[in-house]
Formats: sequence, structure tokens, C-alpha cells
Amino acid sequence: MENRLLVLARLFAAAPGFVVRHRIVILTMVVLISVLQAVGVATRTRIDISTDSMIDQTDPAIAALNAFRTQFGSDDSLFLVYEARDGDIFSARSLAATRALTESLRDWRSLDVSRYDADLQELDQIRRVQSVTTLRVQRVDGDTLRSERLVPDDIPDDPAQLAAIREQALAEDDYRLAFYSDDARFGALLIQTTFGARPLEGYVPAVNAEDISLDDAFSNFGGDGGFELAFDEQATIDEVSFELVDMAEYKVFFTAVSAVLADYEADLAFYPAGNPSLMSWVFDVLQQMLWLAAGVVAIFIFLLRALFRSFSAVFWPIITIILSLLWSWGITVWIGATLSTMLSLTVMLVFAVGIADCVHVMSAYFVFREEGKSHESALANAYEKTGLAILVTTITTMAGVLALTGSDLVPIKVFGFMSALGVFMALVFTVVLLPILLSIWHPAPAKVAGTSRLLSYWVRWQQLSRKTQAAVMLVLLAVLFAVTGIAIGFYIGLTVLVTMAVVRWQSNILAACPNWARRRPGTILGVFALIFGASVYGTSQVNIDSNVAELARESSAPRIAYNMVDEHMAGAQTISVMIDTASSDGLLEPVVLKAMEALQQQVATHYRERISRTYSLANIVKDTHQVMNQDDPAFYRIPDDAVTVSQLMYLFNSANPEERRSLVSDDFSRSHITLNTYNAGSYEYQQVISELDADIARIFEPVRALFPELQVTVTGSVPVMMRAMDEIAQSQYSSLLLALAVISAIMIITLGSVQAGLISIIPNLIPALMTFGLMGLLGIALDVDTLLIAPVIIGIAVDDTIHFMTSYRLELIKTRSMPQALNNTLRDVGRAVMFTTMILGLGFAILGFSEYLGIAKVGIFGGLAILMALLCDLLLLPALIIKLQPRFGIKGDMESFSDAARSPVTVAATSSERR
Amino acid sequence: MQLFKRRLLGVLLLSTALISGVSAQSPADGRAILERVEDNQRAIADAAFNRIQLSSCRFGLQNSQITCAERARVKALESVSINTGANNRDTRSISIVLEPAAERGISMLSYTYDDASQDNETWLYLSALGQVKRIASGNSDDESEPASLFGSEFTTEDQDTGKLEDYTINVLREGTESGREVWLIETIPNEKRSRSTRYARTVQYVDKERFVVLRADMYDRTGREIKRLMASRVEQVNGNWMARSLTMMNLVANRLSNMAILEINSDVEIPENFLTPRTLTDVAFREAELQRIREQVE
Repeated sequence: MENRLLVLARLFAAAPGFVVRHRIVILTMVVLISVLQAVGVATRTRIDISTDSMIDQTDPAIAALNAFRTQFGSDDSLFLVYEARDGDIFSARSLAATRALTESLRDWRSLDVSRYDADLQELDQIRRVQSVTTLRVQRVDGDTLRSERLVPDDIPDDPAQLAAIREQALAEDDYRLAFYSDDARFGALLIQTTFGARPLEGYVPAVNAEDISLDDAFSNFGGDGGFELAFDEQATIDEVSFELVDMAEYKVFFTAVSAVLADYEADLAFYPAGNPSLMSWVFDVLQQMLWLAAGVVAIFIFLLRALFRSFSAVFWPIITIILSLLWSWGITVWIGATLSTMLSLTVMLVFAVGIADCVHVMSAYFVFREEGKSHESALANAYEKTGLAILVTTITTMAGVLALTGSDLVPIKVFGFMSALGVFMALVFTVVLLPILLSIWHPAPAKVAGTSRLLSYWVRWQQLSRKTQAAVMLVLLAVLFAVTGIAIGFYIGLTVLVTMAVVRWQSNILAACPNWARRRPGTILGVFALIFGASVYGTSQVNIDSNVAELARESSAPRIAYNMVDEHMAGAQTISVMIDTASSDGLLEPVVLKAMEALQQQVATHYRERISRTYSLANIVKDTHQVMNQDDPAFYRIPDDAVTVSQLMYLFNSANPEERRSLVSDDFSRSHITLNTYNAGSYEYQQVISELDADIARIFEPVRALFPELQVTVTGSVPVMMRAMDEIAQSQYSSLLLALAVISAIMIITLGSVQAGLISIIPNLIPALMTFGLMGLLGIALDVDTLLIAPVIIGIAVDDTIHFMTSYRLELIKTRSMPQALNNTLRDVGRAVMFTTMILGLGFAILGFSEYLGIAKVGIFGGLAILMALLCDLLLLPALIIKLQPRFGIKGDMESFSDAARSPVTVAATSSERR
Repeated sequence: MQLFKRRLLGVLLLSTALISGVSAQSPADGRAILERVEDNQRAIADAAFNRIQLSSCRFGLQNSQITCAERARVKALESVSINTGANNRDTRSISIVLEPAAERGISMLSYTYDDASQDNETWLYLSALGQVKRIASGNSDDESEPASLFGSEFTTEDQDTGKLEDYTINVLREGTESGREVWLIETIPNEKRSRSTRYARTVQYVDKERFVVLRADMYDRTGREIKRLMASRVEQVNGNWMARSLTMMNLVANRLSNMAILEINSDVEIPENFLTPRTLTDVAFREAELQRIREQVE
């Protein structure tokens, strides 16, 4: 095994020379294939940003939801909550503003387009606008039913009249909390849209075909008596498919609505909730992601330049990474796969892995250049030293992302495949292309330490007096914080300080680590054991929970809106209980309506905390029954016979068929109960849903005698999406554990000994465990976003450990001395590990600025995980190696740490002892 | 309460308004053609006694023919209407449900006034409860939701009588439909009218000789055809051409409703006190008067 590893290392050493000799052929091929890939990227890229694509359409819950949508239509509405600036939505001023706004949105075609900097044409998606000014209230006056506007056409000025309107409104239970809050400070406009209900572009109804005619049965009737229309159950029904809605459409629609809202800001403050506003926000966040990604790349470049002090050492690695991305992107689209928004994650991953590969090579290269070696031999030595580790890290990272291809969801599969491909391409280009590029333009011979510009500044800085230093620092910090704000200022300050410290003291830090590890291995192991224990405990406390509103920061618009709706109104989300009697006119049977009523009562008494209100056909029947009986409240009940129910349904039947269809199927076999719910996480939703299932089974049991095929299903877009998310999260959690297991197995095989493999697993586990543990201790839930990116972060975090262990083993084989191998490894790999930690840690930390907490959490906890991995490599691994003295399966004589203790070796003295 | 918020005005008128036909003449423009159709509709509604069957089902295609894919839900009704008021532009009508059995006896009486300042009146009688209610609904068109005719695909927005001034009317071209020469006439609602209808455009196929609408295609604001009316069994009744079978297809929901005019009788002598609330509640009176009307037409 040791020999095979040495052979591999030698192969890597020979690689630069080989590829440089064949550079013409290789460059030509790379250029040609790159052009081909560029063509693919330019012409064949399809990015699906519809939210439905992230959900497994074969999931039974989704199938039920689709059946529900087909039957009852889309409920994609904008729920526009507003607060009256004067504290009363029933004041003359607030009512006038509400009416004017309602009319503007309904009748937007009459608005002066030039006054708005948005495309008002997008308001065409509005199907219906309801507000307190459009509501009608039912009044029974003797034998007359009056349906009058709650707010008269002429809004009165008289406070007494306004108070009467308010009083009447608050007495309407069907409207309260849906259109105004109990204290009348908040109101709401319900803007129903056609999103998701538009047939696919280019859809042509089958009846448009030539020679289609009406069946003669429609005309064959006699003069007297009725007739029965012939029917054919074999007839082909032309099912209409609807356009999937992508975020960009929500965005332009919401922008147009917002433009109109601006006119009424003086009187009303708006808090828009519902899918269009949320998706519009997500769209903005995705745009912000592009900027953040650019920021990450910028910080990569800045740090590479600062650490290597050479432009060619920055330029070529970036080129290799861009080519890796281009090829993996190109190959993926040439295969015909559709990309998703997860593309940005692939870009980040490939950048991270590519940077790590290049930093290790370049760092080793600079060490050899500093020793005075020529460009060619320094490069050969650098590849010999790092090639094997790069290979292993590539394999482990690929294993981590390939674990995602087990997902049922196509976008995640594509993400896993494309990322694995990108990581692989990064390895290929680092080995094959980077040496050629460096042969064209490479860093000048190493400068003498201390002559770099940064260091010369440092020297001058040190010559200043303490007071001057303090004053300058304060002024700089004040300017920085004033210009950028506290968070960004802190980030920039930290970056600069860390960079200066690493540039100035890297050798000191790296030399101190093994010394410390040798003097106090017990203390270090103890501290890490404590961290490990706390992390394990914290991990046991972590919840897997996805909460739509909590994806946004506390101060963000959607979060504020959702809190408002939950606090003052009936909540912005709905659960639907679909009732299918599988029998025509089943819904007209009193036993069914009574069961629905009973379930609604059960919900009203036992689910107060979660569900604010319910509505169903039963409400309509009871209302009509009361109204038709002189408004006597004693008749607010379901009648006992089906004939009376049928007749009470008469007026409802005469309503707009689209509206009727949204509540009950045309043959009255299916209907649903709408439950308005407060926002909650997937975990709570699951609990509510399972409790509801139990109540439904009990309450609907008597109905089964009449309708043996009865099906009652709990569904609705948000809860079902939550359930789907939870399932993704759970499965990702499993694939994460799988990835860790695979990585550990690879380590055991590569390191040639179970003992060494197990030693390396500990520092691999700690960053992951600490991240989850910290989230558990802080009460932050692991959601679907975090879990999708976790394997990526952990893959990157373990890379450094792999470099460390692989290098240590190679050094052990060469030097046959544990202390020397440890010192050499820390000095050579330690520097690269420190650099990659800095670059990737600070790079990922930028994501912490994201408005989208799913990404921000990844940035912050990912950065912490990478930092923890560094501490593990610099302190824990040396301590473990010193305590356990593993031989990595290497036979023969070897100087152990105990031997060395008898003849002390100082760390600083080893640099010339190499080889 | 949702159901009463709908404007019920015109539901009953609709059954007669859709039946069109006039003696042949050649008007010069689309508006004139449609005005002739309107005039005729009023003539047919006057002193009329009809029996109508509404059958609704999910539809499909079999051998290039549009056919029901399931057993149709059937409603049958009798209706009586007269024109009154100045220029005979007001209408009084009563509709009585015969089928299905559970709804038998439900009746609705409607007075609609041409004068916009006068509120339309509607009385509803539910036989199972023995209760009659007068339903007060405004005459204004603002925010009116389309109402359905007895739960069918026919709605009030499908045909608004007497509102031609609210439309831009263009004769698109001439063509043939069901083997007959037709004008294709496009109607586009003005801004005010477009608020109360989902149809941004309707194309009517009017028989050039008989002045019967043989087909109408209704388009939404995105230019998509959402409903289509097909007329068949065009016959001459009392000297007027009319389609006795009207089929409204909802192209989005794939449902259709067929309105079969089983019987139509104009110029029937109808006592004015028949079209009063008494008819709704007084079963003996109603049956006696209906019998007299039936005898006239037999």
C-alpha cells in the first residue's frame, strides 16, 4: 500500500512535465471542447424556477392537492393587509382611501400609465378584488331579503353613522378577521388572481378541430315531455393543463400592485401576504444571491492575491475554475437536463473545491520556490506533495454530492450530478491545465520575506506610537462603520485583521501548534472532548422543521406581514379538508353536512391556537335556512331532510358557476372545508394534520353507512408543501449521514489503517456535529435549505483534514519519524489549510448577509464549520497523533514521539532537514 | 352570506333572450343586425309560455362529435313572461321548477325595469319551506357577478339584452356555419361594461337569412376562447326562425349545458295578476291559471 501511494505521488510529480510537453495538443483540445460547451451553455440552458419543480409530483399528497386544484381551482391570492394611519379603518378618510384603492385595482385600465414606473398591464392577472367597501351584508326586513353594501356609496362624515357602520361590520362573523381586525385598526383586501389557472401557452381546445360537430342527441327531442341526453363514457375528455407560474411573473405582478399602493401610503400602511408577495420577495433574494456570489468570488480573489502576492497565482486558478464550471454546465445541458436555482450552489461548490485544490498546489509550489527551486521542479514537487490529497478530497466531495442523486426530485438529482462533475473537472484541470498555464506566465522567484508591500506597511505601522496607532485605528473603524453599517463594517474589519495577522504571523502560528500539542495533548483532547460532548447533546436537541415565514429575517417585509396577519387577522394560510362522497348529490345529504359541521365545531373548540376560522357548504346551508325563516337564529342549523337542503341550495346554485365550482363539484359529490391557519413550521403542521385525521375518522364514521366509498382528505398547498419539504429534509439528513459514512470509509482505505481512518473521522465529525449542535442549542431549526447545502459544506470542511492526514502519511513513509512527519506536515500543509480556511470561511461568511435565512444560515454556520475544521487540523489531530502514535500500517523502524522526547527536536530546526 | 350577494337580475330573462330569429332583411352594419336580433328577442319574450329542459354534463369527443361523457344532470322548468311598461320595455316573468323532484315547485318571479332608477324585483318561493322571500337587488351594474341559470353553464354575462350601446360592434367577415351563410360579428365591451364581464370579446355567427345566432365564441382578456355557444334545431315557430337547442360549452372546465326549448308559445293570453307574488304561494290559483294557459296552446 505504501509503495502504491508513493507510485501515485510520483505519477502526480511527473504530470506537470508531461502535460507541458504536450501543451499544444492539450490546449487545442481544451479550447475546442470549451467552445463546444460554451455553445451548449448559450443555446441549450433551460432554467426552471417554478416552485412546483421542487416538489415530487408523484407524492400521493401532491396528487391529492392536484386533484383538489383541478376541482376547485387555484387559490393563489394576494392578501393585502393594511393599517389605517389614523388608527381606524372605518374613519371617513380610511374608507375613502380603501374604496379608491379597490377601484384602482379593479379598474386599473383607467389609471394614467405614465404616472407609474411599473408595467400596469401585469394587473391583468387580477380576477377579483374584495375589500370592506365591496362587502354586502344580508338583512331580513319582513318578507324582504336585502343585500346592502356595508359601506354606502356616499361615505358619511357623521361620526355616529361611521360608528354604526363599524358596529355592523364587527357583528358579521363571516367577514371579521377576514376583512378587518377586531379592533378595526387593520383591514385587508383580498386580490384573487388567475395565477396557475391559465391554460398552457398554445393550448388549442379539441373542439377547434375541423369537422367537429354536436351530437345529434342535442336536437332529438319531441315536443312534449322531457328527454334524456345520450352519453358515452368512452368519449375523450380534453384535459386542460395549466401554465406553471414562475417567480418572475409574481415579481412583475407584485411590482405593479406596489406601484398602485404607493398612491395610498399617506392614509394606509400596507403589509402584503400571500404567494405573489412572498414569491416576489424570493425572486429579489435570488437576485441578491447573484451579488453575494460575486462578493464571494471577489473575496476569493482579494485573499488569493493578498496571500500569494502574485497575480498569476490568482489569475490561472480562477481560469481553471471557470473552465471546470463551463464544462460541467455544458455537459449537463448537452445531456438534456434542465437546471434549477440550485445552479448557484453548484457554482459556489465548484469555486470552493477549485480554490482549495489550487491553494494547496500553489502553497506547496511557493514553499519550494522560496527554497530556491526552479519553476519546473517546484511545480513537480508541489504536485507530488498534494496530488494524492487532491484526488482523495475530490472523491470524498463527489461522494457527498452524489449522495443527493438518490433524491426523488429531479432538480436535486441534477444538482448532485452537475456538482460531482464540476468537482471532478476541477481536479482534471488542476492537474492537466494549471501546469500549462503556469508555464506561460508564472510567479517571479520568491521575494525575501519582509519586502512585500504589505509587510513594508506593517513595518512602518509598527514605527508609529501607540497613541497614533490607536487614533488611526479608531478613525478608520469609524469611517468604515459609518460608510458600510455595523454588519458589513465588522465583516470588512475582520477580513482585513485576519489577513494581516495570517500574512504577518503564519509561521509563528504554525510553529506554535505542534509545540503546544506536544506540551499539552491532554488539555487539548479534554477541550475537544467537551466540545464534542456539547455538540452531541446539541445535535440531539435540533429540530428538523421548515417554516415559510421564518425563511425571512425578522425585519423583512414578508416576515412582518405574516406576523401582522397572524396577530390581527385570521392568518394567511389554509388547510383544506376535501370530502368526496363518490356519489352524485352526496353533499345534499344532511348526514354529510352535519358531519362537516361537527368537524368545524371540533376545530373551533380544540384547534384555537392553530386554526382561526372555518368555512364550508354547511355554513351556506345554515345561513340560508335562517334567512328563509325570518332570520330566526333557531334555524341556524342543517335541516333534517335532503329535499329542504336541495331547495336551500337553489340560490347558491344560481351563483356564478366558477364561484360555485370553487366550493363544490358540479355534481355535488365533492366539496371541501377551508380552515384558515396561523403560520407554523412543518413539524407543527404535521401534528395538526395527524390530529385532524383522527378527528375526521371519528366524526365521519356514521357517514360511511350511506357512502361506503367516502374519502375525506386533509390537503392544501402550504401544508402539503411543508410535508414535502419535511420529507426532503428527512431524506437529506439520511444522505448526509450516508455521505459521512462513505467519506470515513474512503479515509480508512486511503490511509491504509483502520486506526488512522478512525482518528481522521473524529476531526471530520466535529465540524458537522458542532454546526448541528450549535443550531440545536440556539433553537435554530434545520430546514430544507440548510440540509441541502450541509453535505457541500461538510465536504469542504473535511478536505483539509484529508490533506493533513494524507500528507502526514506520505511524510511518515519518507522520514520514518513521527515528530518530523508531524512538523513537516504542519509547516507545509498547515499553511495551505490556513489559507483555504481563511478564503472559504470568509467567502462563505458573505452569504450570512443574505436576506434569505436559508442561505444566511449556511453562510454563517458553514464559515464556523470550516473554522472549526482548521482548529481540529492544527490542534486536535496533532494531539491525537501524539497520544495514539498511529503507524498507518507502515511496518519497520520508526521514530516515535516518546523516542523524540528523549532527544528533543525543536520545530524550528526542521526546515532544512527535509528529504 | 355569499349566495345572496350575487345579482340575480336577468336569470329568467336569459332563457328567452337567447332564443333569436327575425324575418329576413339585409341590414347594413353589425349594430343593425344585432338590433334586429334584440327586437326579436323582446317580441318572443312577450306573452310567452315556455317549457325548457337544461341538461348539464362533462363533455368529450367521440367520432368527432361533441357528446356528454356522463349522465347529464337535468332541470326542467316552465316559464311565463309578459312585456309591460312604456314601449313594452319592462318585463315580468315567472319560472317554476318541474324537475328534479327535490326542487319541484321552486318558483321565481321577476320584474325587471328598463328605467335604471327603478330597482328590479325578485321573489323566490321554496316549496319545501313554504316560504316566499322578496329579494331586493339594485339595478346598477357595478361589481355585479355573473349569475348562473339554474346551476348551468349559461350565465347572465352570456347575453345582456338592451345594452348594445355598451359595445363596439364590427362585422368581421362573412362565412358559413352549419351549412348556412353567416356574418361573423364581433362585440367588444366598453370600459364600463368590461368590469362586469369576463368576456373581452365575443364573436357571433348570425344567419344572414334567418337572423339566428348559430354560434358564439367568447374570449377572455388574454384572447383565449373560454366558452362557445352552439345552436341547433333551427325551426320556424309562429313565423319566427329560432334555435330550439342551445349548447353552451365551457372550454376550460370541459362542461356543457344544453338548453332544449321543449315548448315555446308566443302571444298567449296571460292574465296580469298571474305574474304576482300570489302565484308563488297560492298553489290552487297557480295550477288553475297554468291549466288555462296550457289549454290555449294545445
